[in-house]
Amino acid sequence: MKFIIHNSLFTTIRIWISVLIIFNAAPLIAQTQSDNQEWHRRTHDIPEISVYGARPMKEIGTQQTKLDTTALKENIALSMADVLTFNTSIFVKSYGRATLSTVAFRGTSPSHTQVQWNGMRINNPMLGMTDFSMIPSYFIDDASLLHGTSSVNETGGGLGGAVKLSTKPAEAKGFGLQYIQGIGSFKTFDEFLRLTWGNDHWQTSTRAVFSSSPNDYKYRNHDKKENIYDEQMNIIDQYYPIERNRSGAYKDLHILQEVYYNTGKGDRLGLNAWYTNSNRELAMLTVDHGSDTDFDNRQREHTFRGVVSWDHLRQNWKIGAKAGYIYTWMAYDYKRDLGNGIMAHMTRSRSRINTFYGQVDGEYYIGKKWLFTANLSLHQHIVESRDKNIIRQDGNKAIVGYRKGRPELSGSLSAKWRPIDRLGVSIVVREEMFGKEWTPIIPALFIDGVLSERGNIVAKASVSRNYRFPTLNDLYFLPGGNPDLRKESGWTYDAGLSFAVGRKGLYSLKGSATWFDSYINDWIIWLPTPKGFFSPENIKDVHAYGVELQADLEVALSPKWQLGLNGNFSWTPSINCGEPRSPADRSVGKQLPYVPEFSSSVTGRLSWRRWTFLYKWCWYSERFTMSSNDLSLSGRLPEYFMSNISLEKVLVFNWADLSLKGTINNLFNEEYLSVLSRPMPGINFEVFIGITPKWGNR
Amino acid sequence: MRAVTRNIRFALTLLLAVALSGCMEWDYLYTEEFDERGQGLFCLNEGNFQYGNATLSYYNPEAQKVENEVFARANGMKLGDVAQSMVIRNGVGWIVVNNSHVVFAIDINTFKERGRITGLTSPRYIHFLSDEKAYITQIWDNRIFIVNPKRYQITGYIDVPNMTMESGSTEQMVQLGDFVYVNCWSYQNRILKIDTRTDKVVDELEVGIQPTSLALDCNGKLWTVTDGGYDGSPYGHEAPSLYRIDPESFTVEKQFKFNFGDWPSEVQLNGAKDKIYWLNDDVWEMSVTADYLPAEPFLPYKDTIYYGLTIDPQSGDVYIADAIDYVQQGMIYRYSKERELLDSFYVGIIPGAFCWK
Repeated sequence: MKFIIHNSLFTTIRIWISVLIIFNAAPLIAQTQSDNQEWHRRTHDIPEISVYGARPMKEIGTQQTKLDTTALKENIALSMADVLTFNTSIFVKSYGRATLSTVAFRGTSPSHTQVQWNGMRINNPMLGMTDFSMIPSYFIDDASLLHGTSSVNETGGGLGGAVKLSTKPAEAKGFGLQYIQGIGSFKTFDEFLRLTWGNDHWQTSTRAVFSSSPNDYKYRNHDKKENIYDEQMNIIDQYYPIERNRSGAYKDLHILQEVYYNTGKGDRLGLNAWYTNSNRELAMLTVDHGSDTDFDNRQREHTFRGVVSWDHLRQNWKIGAKAGYIYTWMAYDYKRDLGNGIMAHMTRSRSRINTFYGQVDGEYYIGKKWLFTANLSLHQHIVESRDKNIIRQDGNKAIVGYRKGRPELSGSLSAKWRPIDRLGVSIVVREEMFGKEWTPIIPALFIDGVLSERGNIVAKASVSRNYRFPTLNDLYFLPGGNPDLRKESGWTYDAGLSFAVGRKGLYSLKGSATWFDSYINDWIIWLPTPKGFFSPENIKDVHAYGVELQADLEVALSPKWQLGLNGNFSWTPSINCGEPRSPADRSVGKQLPYVPEFSSSVTGRLSWRRWTFLYKWCWYSERFTMSSNDLSLSGRLPEYFMSNISLEKVLVFNWADLSLKGTINNLFNEEYLSVLSRPMPGINFEVFIGITPKWGNR
Repeated sequence: MRAVTRNIRFALTLLLAVALSGCMEWDYLYTEEFDERGQGLFCLNEGNFQYGNATLSYYNPEAQKVENEVFARANGMKLGDVAQSMVIRNGVGWIVVNNSHVVFAIDINTFKERGRITGLTSPRYIHFLSDEKAYITQIWDNRIFIVNPKRYQITGYIDVPNMTMESGSTEQMVQLGDFVYVNCWSYQNRILKIDTRTDKVVDELEVGIQPTSLALDCNGKLWTVTDGGYDGSPYGHEAPSLYRIDPESFTVEKQFKFNFGDWPSEVQLNGAKDKIYWLNDDVWEMSVTADYLPAEPFLPYKDTIYYGLTIDPQSGDVYIADAIDYVQQGMIYRYSKERELLDSFYVGIIPGAFCWK
């Protein structure tokens, strides 16, 4: 049955892709190869290191990590969770392959990271967090992390920080096509298609990604044993079984349509529409003694996100407006085979989210020394959660759930001042209203200054207040929602140094070191209750602090050899400093569970002519699973190292460019867990074949 | 340029060394030999749902010594996800692990596994009718499973009327003669009466919203306590009550009403079964013949939410579980009948159920 569904969906998608090709191929006349379709060029010119005076006014004092195209477009099978894991120091908590992946930014919880896509906040308003495994990296053209205080420039609520994701015009000249097919271990299939067309005014792009896999990788289960009985049912032997990842299949389809119009006279219009159709099984735990044929545990999601934007640019001022809409339908089904082949629902949960979004913003420069910005955004959520079907006492049927709406208004004003080229100061004030409740004024102050022109050594410092409101589930979920929750609040302080040296065409070396210190009060945590369900409470005060290091090196070893190295390191103690919950509480002064104290990632890229070798490595230190940091048998997860490699060759023909790529994930075939009872795959492989035809350009 | 290249080579070598030196281990559990004879208390620590970190602790009251994680240490494997309940029959302990869909049988002195029952939906409690027949209640299933514990096999089902799979919830069981009584908890309000000769539900009694526990006292009376539902529940929300039920007539003999918003739970009896205990912020004690709820608690609330309760059937000592923040090892407090604190010890995450050896 699963096979039939898979094939029919596959066929439907292939037909759809064919229609798209035909539709988009219409304006082929006199088309030329899009100039952005040089995706195959893995070597690139090493740029001149920018001089200190060229630092953008908008980025005064901000700590941000920008992910470049080579990281985002490394291969089509990657999600943003994978990209963040290997290219930043953020801790990505993954529950398995193609499974929920959330981030802990500077030791905070997933809901403390605000995520924007083309300006629109895409955190789930019910849960507060974002599942980064559901964002294909090939759909993102620009990604940057705003650490701590820096997020206040863009949005409120980012107690850990913010992740800005956006698309941008392809800058195509004529028609362009790119198709990549990936085939990998565990019957994994990844397909990517991009069609572009553009001229001086119009740019269109259609992208589609389809990924599927039974995802049934083998692993030796260290958490349970199988018994061998004699005829009297006495155990005569036991062994650790080699099992497959049970009930872990997935099929994800993403389609992204973009249309941009540039008048050439200072007005830009854009439309971005992103549709996701996901069907994922929820893998069984290592300690589950049930049979995967007895249960069907599945989550499905249909999400549409659309944003239209208008920007009006003049020499010293700019205004812009955005409008957007998000529709999400999520279904969770947990079914049981009754023994007769009929799968009966144990849980049938449905939720619908409608979000309407509007934003206006403006910038005004006075000379080269002053920049004033203003921003006002509104997200109106309407949520319907239907979690359980019950029979009431009177015998009628009823549904346990809630339906609520909430407007979320956020506005900011900023003044940025650069009295001399070497010094910049920025003040931001933000205020937010969720429902009927307002935050106090959220202030943020940023300062940067050039300490030395030689080496472009820049010092940065910032401080901000911040608040995060409870999510809709925190307040209204049945059972357990707590409408009396207070909003979380925090202070964050940042200070750091950065440098950049290099010679154009030879090498560039950039680096930064940042110290941060933040206090979060009234941290919301869901706890079990004696009534048998969970309920959220404001229980913790957390002190998160530490150091973040970044370095980036590009070297042209010879005209044909190029080396790139990128490294990140974080030390992020995240300490519970609240009051003990009871006299026996041993969690005060301890690291928060599942937050590594140290993390690091390194990416090395070596290119020779049209060959590229990539080595990715990441490390998370030991993580505690208990708030008291007990070292019991299941109280810790050992440190986590991961190495992935890939080799790519680009073949250039008159009619097309072809790309052949092979990747090896988990190079050393480590048996490991990222989260308790969630096995991760051992060594696995995937090959990719890509083609970019050269329309009319032979 | 040469210097740069040399430095890069050095950096690359260092990087490679770091990468290749990396290793991580999903540890195998080691095994230990135990031989714990005499009276003892098993404490089941639920663990965190979906994290598979349920554990079993064993406490020797005489020596005042606790051993934690004894199932894992004795068997070299984990207990599972959400340890729910345990009973002992003929020297074998039967541990129901809810979200692992399994019931383990262990030797109660060595803690070594003797066998396991699988194929369950979401097991909650096991009740023995004989060495070869037992019932296992479930949540999210409208059937009670009939099993043969000797062969570790499911042999049949008891269909529960007026209950769907989604709203299915059967819980604790007590037996009087040929009849087993079962409380139905989640979005339910009933006590079922099952004829063990036919394995059929032959009668049911409506009580308040969501009866959580069931106990049988020295006078042959059933006791249950409801939690009253919760605010916003489509099933209703009311003041909870403690009920004394006459099983012969299968009627409520006495209803003790709590205040609206109270959360009573964990009805337990002492060894003589003439005193009833429960949690409602504080720990409460009452004679099974009382006509009114006591005015003063047996042990007052002490800055924490008690999660589990048991009474030593021999000494009458009262054991209370404090789950603290539910993500660290919980604490068990042991009080004498005279309310004197005798001992306290850490066990596992969310200690919720006990079983006396």
